[in-house]
Amino acid sequence: MNVLKVSRWTIAAFVLPCLIIYIGIVFVPILVSMYSGMLDWNGIGESTFVGLANFKKLLFHDSVFWPSVRRTLMFAVFSMAEIPIALLVAILLKRYVRKPNFLVSSYFLPVILSVVVVGQLWKTIYNPASMGGMLNQILDAVGLHSWGKAWLTDPSVAMYSLYFVALWQYLGYHTLIQFTGISNVPDDVYEAARIDGAEGFKADWHITFPLIVPIFKISIVLAFIGSLQAFDMIMVMTGGGPAHATDVISTHMYNMSFTSMKYGYGSSIAAFLVVLCLAATFCINFIFNKLEKRYS
Amino acid sequence: MNTSTAVALNKQVAATRRKRFSVTKAIVFLVLGILFVTQVYPLLWLLLYSLKSNEEILSGSFFALPHSPQWANYSAALEGNYFRYLLNSIFVTSVTMIAVIILSSLCAYAISRFRWRFGGAVMVVFLIGMMIPMQATLLPLMIIFKNMHILNTHLSIILPYVAFSMPIAIFILSGFMKTIPHEIEESAVVDGAGIGRIFSSIILPISVPPVMTVCILTFINIWNEYILAATFISSEKLKTLPFGVNSFVSQYSVNYGAIGAFLVLGALPVIIIYFLLADKITQGMVAGAVKG
Repeated sequence: MNVLKVSRWTIAAFVLPCLIIYIGIVFVPILVSMYSGMLDWNGIGESTFVGLANFKKLLFHDSVFWPSVRRTLMFAVFSMAEIPIALLVAILLKRYVRKPNFLVSSYFLPVILSVVVVGQLWKTIYNPASMGGMLNQILDAVGLHSWGKAWLTDPSVAMYSLYFVALWQYLGYHTLIQFTGISNVPDDVYEAARIDGAEGFKADWHITFPLIVPIFKISIVLAFIGSLQAFDMIMVMTGGGPAHATDVISTHMYNMSFTSMKYGYGSSIAAFLVVLCLAATFCINFIFNKLEKRYS
Repeated sequence: MNTSTAVALNKQVAATRRKRFSVTKAIVFLVLGILFVTQVYPLLWLLLYSLKSNEEILSGSFFALPHSPQWANYSAALEGNYFRYLLNSIFVTSVTMIAVIILSSLCAYAISRFRWRFGGAVMVVFLIGMMIPMQATLLPLMIIFKNMHILNTHLSIILPYVAFSMPIAIFILSGFMKTIPHEIEESAVVDGAGIGRIFSSIILPISVPPVMTVCILTFINIWNEYILAATFISSEKLKTLPFGVNSFVSQYSVNYGAIGAFLVLGALPVIIIYFLLADKITQGMVAGAVKG
């Protein structure tokens, strides 16, 4: 119950500075991009209103667009596939390691690094052996020279190399979240389970899983947001190339607007991205509301 | 008699269990150890790489220590504008953090404590905004800023940084402020304190823990941000550290050691802070994720 009665002016002074900046920077641009998505415009000169032509072209006549949507979704799927691994690691840490803090903090280290450092580091690791790339040098050293690849310039593997870097960077984050979730399950619950004959992974299946369903939701939302942030990483590492092989929705948007100077078309992609995000958040919330109802 | 056999049986069970556990334990530690290597070794490798000469790097001895540490790599890296980038990053990040804390604590206070009709609605606005990805605003913001003539200034990145940090900050702060007992404010009102006074000398000092969480989240996100800075900033003397690192590394395509050195220098500030505040940072990031 909020009790403080204050004048309108006081409320305005407390809320407006924040709200104005927020609406001006987040919501106004979205509306602007919905509108400029209907323009044929290079961002500088004259613009002509073309209605929904950009969206039509995007959905039906753009050979790069749907593959880029698929890659964006695959990014989310791969990030979510990491969650069970992180959960297993968290369970092992909780059960077998007496002082897990050191390991947890070490696993977490890549999370706090800038995407530029991570991207450039892995670019160096993926380099050909003749340019000092560690991965290919290791393969050479163990006699698997034929497995060596141009990891970022071969269109058939470039995207998987990028998925892997994202998984590498965020494994620690998911592990930490699951670990915190497990640590918050009170010990006497496991005590009671042991008396009833459930121990080890059996106890995890019947107790840990249901109790940390809300934590899964956090991880999944995080994986989804993380897969959108892959944008920065891809811009640093490949820029969407070779030949669009690593384009995701946002790199396609960026390249269309800033490289090809099709500002109106880029805006229509941005509008699509916003709709996709809102829809995905809605779906995730819907599914988890059902799950939480079933388990509570 | 019955009890003694039971005890003996228990001991036996415990012994076999311990034996089985030692094998399991070995496997577990192997798995966790491998994971430790994959997560940390690339960073260590980068450190070694940055101290090697080009010949050593190209020779394929990826595991070896450098023969003699090539400090020249670091001096080559420092001849770039490293300190300028560092100062820019410190400036942009601290202005953003201060603005986020002032603005969002004011707003969170109004949402969580004032009696007014639109408190819930304002909160919903921020929650919806949380789902909007920053990239989607990149193009329209660029045009808006160009028309406002603030493109290629620090203001053009600070404004979006502040705006995109606010929802999570307000969420964390208002969640905390809801739990402050009302009696504190009531007695302050009785003593004749105005609303500004209550906020600045009672509410803010109590809210230090969530403010710290907000600081950590904002710091990690803004310090590492790359694409916005790379899009809105073009002059060399305004670049932030991630942007500066990236442009340096892209230019220096043949001096591998210097590239490594610049990457190490780019990662160094945040790693130092992580060593000092690891527990606080991990707790803050979990709180941010849990509440987001």
